[in-house]
Amino acid sequence: MNTLIQLIFGLLAALIVGSAVMVVSVRNVIHAALWLIACFFGVGALYLLLEAEFIAVAQVLVYVGAISILILFAIMLTRESEGARYMVSGWRLVVTALVCVALFGAVLVPTIFTHTWNVPPPAVATPGSPAPPEVLAGVEDLGRGFVFSYMLQFQVAGVLLTVALIGAIVIAFEERARRRRVLTLAEEHEVRKRQKPARPPATGERAPSPQAAPMSDGEQG
Amino acid sequence: MYDILDGLINSTLGFGWPSWLISLIGYVLVATLLFAVAPFQMLFFTYYERRAIARMQDRIGPNRVGPEGIFQPIADGVKMFTKEDIVPDAADKRVHLLAPIVVVAPTMFMFAVLPWGPGMVPVDLNTGLLFFFAISSISAVGLMMAGWASNNKFALLGAMRAVAQMVSYEIPAVLSLLAIVMMTGTLSVVSLINAQGGLFISTNDVAGVPDLGLGWLIFTPVGLLAFMCFFIAALAEGERTPFDIPEADSEIVAGYMTEYSGMKFGLFYLAQYILNFLLCAIAAVIFFGGWQGPGVGWLYGMAISPTNPDGSWIFNLLAGVLGVFYFLAKTYFFFFVMIWIRGAYPRLRVDQLMDFGWKFLIPLTLVNVFSAAIWVAVTSWGVADGFGLVEGWSPMLRWGVAFVTTLVLNGAAYVIVARIYNSAQAARNRFDVDELRESLALPR
Amino acid sequence: MTNAIPLEAVLMVAAALFCIGLFGALARRNMVSVLMGVELMLNAVNINLVAFWRYLEPGFVVGQTFAIFIITVAAAEAAVGLAMIIAIYRTWLTSNVDNVASMKG
Repeated sequence: MNTLIQLIFGLLAALIVGSAVMVVSVRNVIHAALWLIACFFGVGALYLLLEAEFIAVAQVLVYVGAISILILFAIMLTRESEGARYMVSGWRLVVTALVCVALFGAVLVPTIFTHTWNVPPPAVATPGSPAPPEVLAGVEDLGRGFVFSYMLQFQVAGVLLTVALIGAIVIAFEERARRRRVLTLAEEHEVRKRQKPARPPATGERAPSPQAAPMSDGEQG
Repeated sequence: MYDILDGLINSTLGFGWPSWLISLIGYVLVATLLFAVAPFQMLFFTYYERRAIARMQDRIGPNRVGPEGIFQPIADGVKMFTKEDIVPDAADKRVHLLAPIVVVAPTMFMFAVLPWGPGMVPVDLNTGLLFFFAISSISAVGLMMAGWASNNKFALLGAMRAVAQMVSYEIPAVLSLLAIVMMTGTLSVVSLINAQGGLFISTNDVAGVPDLGLGWLIFTPVGLLAFMCFFIAALAEGERTPFDIPEADSEIVAGYMTEYSGMKFGLFYLAQYILNFLLCAIAAVIFFGGWQGPGVGWLYGMAISPTNPDGSWIFNLLAGVLGVFYFLAKTYFFFFVMIWIRGAYPRLRVDQLMDFGWKFLIPLTLVNVFSAAIWVAVTSWGVADGFGLVEGWSPMLRWGVAFVTTLVLNGAAYVIVARIYNSAQAARNRFDVDELRESLALPR
Repeated sequence: MTNAIPLEAVLMVAAALFCIGLFGALARRNMVSVLMGVELMLNAVNINLVAFWRYLEPGFVVGQTFAIFIITVAAAEAAVGLAMIIAIYRTWLTSNVDNVASMKG
């Protein structure tokens, strides 16, 4: 059983690290985003291996289902026409790579291996009784935690999400007046149909609405 | 599955195999079974849909291959396999190849938590419902890949539409499930079904109701509104007719499938019908009790199960057959409703689709979540939870009060939201026409 | 599960992911790619939190709540960040970080 788990872990680690390397190194941004999705998926599977079911599902739902789609949309909306170099070059690239490798090799790895983690000893089966099953905090405990112990934090997270939602809309909003509008045949027909009874001066005196005015300018100009 | 195999191999035949081997055999068997069943569901669904829609349109439909045309889908499948597989020159070859796989794989994943009958669920995950919807959102990535890799404007348009639709209709679907999860207090699909025993009143709410397997959640006001919202959202996620704008043939050829032919096209087709099957199935499971029905609970009580290890396997078989029958009957009925809607309604426009999802379904589902909270408070809280008002009431009275309160709340919410939505749509249409008249500068 | 894989192995994966993400955030010039690097770093942090929960405090929910909050923050950050990228693209018609230097002193 242990060998199987180690094998799965090795595969997942290779998937995560390999696809992360591809994310930062491939030239095509769309391919990078697809590798990113693979990486997110691998991380979700790792959570499942670590027996954090809810976080694994949340990871798939939020990262794979939402954030990556958002990223793909953003890439398609901001296509670069110039065939620019996709990475910094020269001494900047060297320094960046050095910083990252140094952080990994000189800071993180030594810390991980020299620090003594107080991992509780595994439960041992005594001759009289089998090993007691490990108590894991499940979905119910998580839910209870959110509505009792971490109520304030939970509310703050909700407020943060709302603010981000509104902020994103405000930032990315394009005014209606600046948008180009192409008429469909049905709409044109509708306009003409409404036009006919409007021929007598009854509605002809209606002033043009302020919202519509700049758009018509844009369309004629 | 494990119990049956354990009983068969170790007790009946007396081999004494270790438990991990039995688990492994069980999983492999179940996976093989599902991979065999899923394509057949899809074949049957295509035939079913063509015949049913033909009846509605006063035609006959396929009736040449085999008796009543039952082998028509197989002939179509053979045709699909023998067609040439064309990859456009300008396409991104690898992504183009991967896209159908990424679309099909999640739909097969989703079978992992789908219960077919009593004790017949591949994996009983603690987060089963959430898993189902999380996995279904992956196929949006596949659609995006297909649209982008084809290097075709129709494909890209179709993919953009499909993804925008899937992402925005996931919210009402999950919100309507949230109400159900609050009522039953579980995310596991199996315990969700177990909570739906009873007779019009769930045994979960009122103990002592005769258990005929009819305590479905649809019989509560919260469940009814949740079902309506969920089913509409499911139509949008499965790209069924009023919401089939991603592949509207009269506008954008075939959407993201435009540049696919042969078996790759067939895979998209397969994924779509399996997704429809799964959505119908999960609607049946969540709101209509899945395999619950008269007799199943009684039969399963005498079968081999974790609580009753010395039952008889005959009853496993009987309960399984009856449960699967109920489950499939409900599923096929929902698919019939989908076909019916396809025969009855025209296609929506993209902005109508978005408006409907964001301005109508989401407010309704939010009110429904509130109703679910009231339901839980009235039926199961007491002094200990800080709600002493209902402490001395009998379960039946509590259920009645909860029913009436949520019914009034949901009804009022529906009427108000519908009125606001309608007037907003009318105002918007007027505004659009005025604006268009200005911009067209038509002669007055 | 905890005796099959040592805690250090999981932490190593997270550390590698973090450094790769950092490199991506610093070295790529496309704004969306920079954001992808940041997402990788957030994921690395999350792996750490879940690993600590699993190995050190499996009976308590604190580690999992942290992970959930980080996912929330990441979602908010991605939404606002991408909105800003789209707004910048609309104004300067570029998605390259080096070309948006009008705030440079």
